[in-house]
Amino acid sequence: MTEGETDREEGTIPFYPDHVTNEAKLALAILGLVVAVGILALWFPVGQGEPADPMNTPAHAKPEWYFLFLYQILKYLPKTLGVILPILGLMILIVWPFLDRREDTKRARRMRVILSIVGVAAIIILTLLSELP
Amino acid sequence: MRQRKHIAAVIVLVLLIFIVLPSIWASRAGAEPVTVELPENHPEQDDPLSGKVLSEAVPFPTPEQDTCQHCHLPGEITGMWTPLLRWILFGSMGLIFVYGTYRASSVWVQRKPWKPLWARIVDWVDERYDIVEPMLKILKKPVPLFATRWMYCLGGITFLLFVVQCITGVMLAFYYKPTPEEAYASIQFIENEVRFGATIRAIHHWSANGMVLMVVAHMLRVFITGAFKPPRELNWVNGTLLGLLTLGFGLTGYLLPWDQRAYWASTVATEIAGGVPQIGDIVLVFMRGGWEVTAITLSRFYAAHVLILPAAMIILMGLHFLMIRRQGIARPL
Repeated sequence: MTEGETDREEGTIPFYPDHVTNEAKLALAILGLVVAVGILALWFPVGQGEPADPMNTPAHAKPEWYFLFLYQILKYLPKTLGVILPILGLMILIVWPFLDRREDTKRARRMRVILSIVGVAAIIILTLLSELP
Repeated sequence: MRQRKHIAAVIVLVLLIFIVLPSIWASRAGAEPVTVELPENHPEQDDPLSGKVLSEAVPFPTPEQDTCQHCHLPGEITGMWTPLLRWILFGSMGLIFVYGTYRASSVWVQRKPWKPLWARIVDWVDERYDIVEPMLKILKKPVPLFATRWMYCLGGITFLLFVVQCITGVMLAFYYKPTPEEAYASIQFIENEVRFGATIRAIHHWSANGMVLMVVAHMLRVFITGAFKPPRELNWVNGTLLGLLTLGFGLTGYLLPWDQRAYWASTVATEIAGGVPQIGDIVLVFMRGGWEVTAITLSRFYAAHVLILPAAMIILMGLHFLMIRRQGIARPL
């Protein structure tokens, strides 16, 4: 690939067998990981908590970890705003390609990198905050 | 024609020597019954005076009994393993011999190189339905080199984990009972009694978390490389919906163990959804099937988790892949 961009841009490999072989190797690795998790479960099972009791509210009722940031937003903002804001964000995310239709540039991509880092960092920080107390 | 008759004669001769004659010999040998004289006061006999029936307790086979000579040799007093191993050994040798004879004679008759059975099946189907060429065309589609970088595998990993979830989910559904009385106990049964139940449950649990992570990673990759740009807007929308469905799987699946954590997590999560202005109450009641998290909530979460969401997921995934196929993989800057 010393020729540079031309070779690289025009270069292709056939889906079968070359690409399929690569993907199969990766799939085997992932499946190996899955099986390893399963084997570890013989010593460290997922386990169960106390049976559900609607009469007895535990001290820290929390949703799953990937909803924790939504839960944390609700603590800082009034209820209506705290629910509207994530929904609005989601709506914007869904229709993003219709809002951002210009030809892609390096600068735009850098902006997107920064935006995603900020977004992910915000979610991670909110999740950690809700785990702290 | 002449030659064919000759071959037929050879095959008949071979069959006669290797199969018919040994069978006749074997049946002759087995025809003589092995008789054992019982002593006069044999302890294993029934005692009419005391009313004891001893013969019922006699295990099979006793030394006095002849074994079944379909498989055992005359006088061979053993269990099932000796004749079974003999069947496997000589049976496989026989099958190999018959197959070899068939193959050799076929080459001899047709004067053509041998074609394996699967190749003949493929040929047979292809003659009728003409599938090999289009399949090859699909399979040989060139993949651009930029799409072989590691970042482009995240969507595929998500799909793989979805397949894992489907398989382990079906396995769990064999034992799981979606009622408040039995849900907890059935999970306990899966964890403690079912063979490798804890393994399957752990795989389902951790792959679900992994799938959420992979969805987010894939989404970030698509977002950053600008793969959502025209003409692929609809595939982005489709993908976000797939991500939402994954979260829906997480939400509905989390209630199913029916322990304190599951119950109150679902209560809190549905409460968040119930906070939407105007329609919040309707959403809450629709999700819970009432104002509280009850048996109805459990059954509708279960129905969503095993029927509605998988169906929606598979349809949207099919569209996702079709669109990728049609439009190709987006070239990064």
